[in-house]
Amino acid sequence: MTRGEIKDVILEIIADIDEDADMDGLNPDEPLRDQLDLDSMDFLDIVMELRKRYKLQIPEADYPELATLTSCINYLEPKLKAL
Amino acid sequence: MADYSLIIIGGGLSGLAAGIRFARFGGSVLILEKHAIPGGLNSYYFRKGFLLETGLHAMTNFAEPGDKRAPLNRLFRQLKFSRHDFITHEQFSSLIHFPAGNTLRFSNDFSLLQEEIASRFPAEIDGFNSLLAVVNGYDPFTPKAWISTRVMLARFLHDPLLIDMILLPLMVYGNSEEHDMDFPQFVIMFRSIYQEGFFRPDGTMKDFLALLVDKFTSYGGEIRYNSQVQSIGITDQQASHVKLAGGEAISCDAVISTVGAPGTFAMLSLNPQEEKYAGRMTFVESIYILPRQAKKEVKSDHTIIFYCLSDQLQYCQPVKPVDTSWGVICFPENFQGLPTSENFQIRITHAANYDLWKKASPLEYTAMKQEWGAKSREMSAKIIGNYEQNIVYEDSFTPITIERYTAKARGAVYGSPVKIKDGRTPCSNVFIAGTDQGFLGIVGSMLSGVSIVNQHILTEN
Ligand SMILES: Cc1cc2nc3c(=O)[nH]c(=O)nc-3n(C[C@H](O)[C@H](O)[C@H](O)COP(=O)(O)OP(=O)(O)OC[C@H]3O[C@@H](n4cnc5c(N)ncnc54)[C@H](O)[C@@H]3O)c2cc1C
Repeated sequence: MTRGEIKDVILEIIADIDEDADMDGLNPDEPLRDQLDLDSMDFLDIVMELRKRYKLQIPEADYPELATLTSCINYLEPKLKAL
Repeated sequence: MADYSLIIIGGGLSGLAAGIRFARFGGSVLILEKHAIPGGLNSYYFRKGFLLETGLHAMTNFAEPGDKRAPLNRLFRQLKFSRHDFITHEQFSSLIHFPAGNTLRFSNDFSLLQEEIASRFPAEIDGFNSLLAVVNGYDPFTPKAWISTRVMLARFLHDPLLIDMILLPLMVYGNSEEHDMDFPQFVIMFRSIYQEGFFRPDGTMKDFLALLVDKFTSYGGEIRYNSQVQSIGITDQQASHVKLAGGEAISCDAVISTVGAPGTFAMLSLNPQEEKYAGRMTFVESIYILPRQAKKEVKSDHTIIFYCLSDQLQYCQPVKPVDTSWGVICFPENFQGLPTSENFQIRITHAANYDLWKKASPLEYTAMKQEWGAKSREMSAKIIGNYEQNIVYEDSFTPITIERYTAKARGAVYGSPVKIKDGRTPCSNVFIAGTDQGFLGIVGSMLSGVSIVNQHILTEN
């Protein structure tokens, strides 16, 4: 997957998790949690959704890598390259 | 490979929520429910053509759609229900009624309670607002040693009457301890009742349960009714299967039990420790159905009335079969925007003594039901006026009914006074969710199911 495709996947997952998510004006370098008012339970949903869709195992120690949209893409790029 | 990744014992609200949560991400999961229908404490039955709900007075934790941090909306996101599609009916208002004309009204607009306290207890309003600041800043979810709510409240409030008035609704809707409560639980209940408030879902509990079961099965989850779990089988110190009353064994990688601590320990062949884990707070409830025309004869402008007619609230197991000196009077039709129906209900709840009901012979039991039903009607009539002459149907249940239908030890609705907050048991892949984990009520038990799956099942695979 390209970086652009990964970005779309993440935004789609977030929209799926949170029907009230406001994706316009999302700053890719600011924490997603603060901007979208998500909590750790919602965050787990992103991890679980990635596992369900791509069989990706993301260890808890790596969760901080998913903090912003850009850091998500950086973290997932090598893992989803082959797809 | 095991038959299922996860087996959930109990198809009450915590078990259904846990099941949806796990099935949502493709996990294979089976719910085993001993009864023919789901719901547990919060279920329904049919009598004489009436659909009667067993548990529901009101759901707590009201929140408007869009308020993302509200527990109700977090629960909906976790279960992947659209909050916008879910129609709610808010309460009218509720009343706390104590002797000598001392009353406090509250509604889903918190400022009503503040105004009532300011006008009736002017010397206490500053203290109440300081207490409010503590509640607002408090984290009730990080486990800590037990803290006395009465000691905490005494720092802010001086009138024992006001303290009891504030405590009554919070205790009767969510306190498994007698006399006092753990302060974090007070904070949870204060928010869910006074700051968030009461509502009911559109339709009946039957509809609500169908929504949950449909969601669960749409994700591939399986549920089996009339399937009572007898024991949890252990291989190499780990649960490997559960055994049903009929002898069938079903294998699994992990178990979540929602049947309470004593019942779960017994299934694990451990000492059930009833002395420690069996709660003492149990209740009797009467349900009366009256024709709509009779409504003008009773004082019924509130949704729920929490009353105490003695000077001090005795929140404890009574020495008599029933303590009618305090209780709850609920009008289930008094929610905004409900369609008018031919009849209306009055539901009345009092604390009861399990042992006295348990040891009664069948004849004595029937006589006790009649005697205490009459006393309850007499007491409640002092508050809402006479209604007995208009009753067209009545039913009641006792601690024994609760024990029989839900397997709660000693019929204790709120379970053990000692909660197992992390959900762990001596067996590393068996977890407790629901009442004995610590979140109470309809919304609370569902959040409990969700959080145990999040903490122990999803993240440890
Ligand atoms: C009279 C009354 C009024 C209430 N009113 C309200 C209210 O107005 N608002 C509110 O929020 N809450 C209310 N509650 C509380 C609320 O109903 C409970 O807190 C909640 O439903 C508890 O859910 P649970 O899943 O933890 O437990 P349960 O509902 O007890 O679920 C446990 C399930 O396990 C099943 N089970 C037990 N043993 C076995 C076994 N061996 N094998 C298989 N299955 C088994 C039981 O049949 C049951 O279905 C009320 C409760 C009562 C009794």
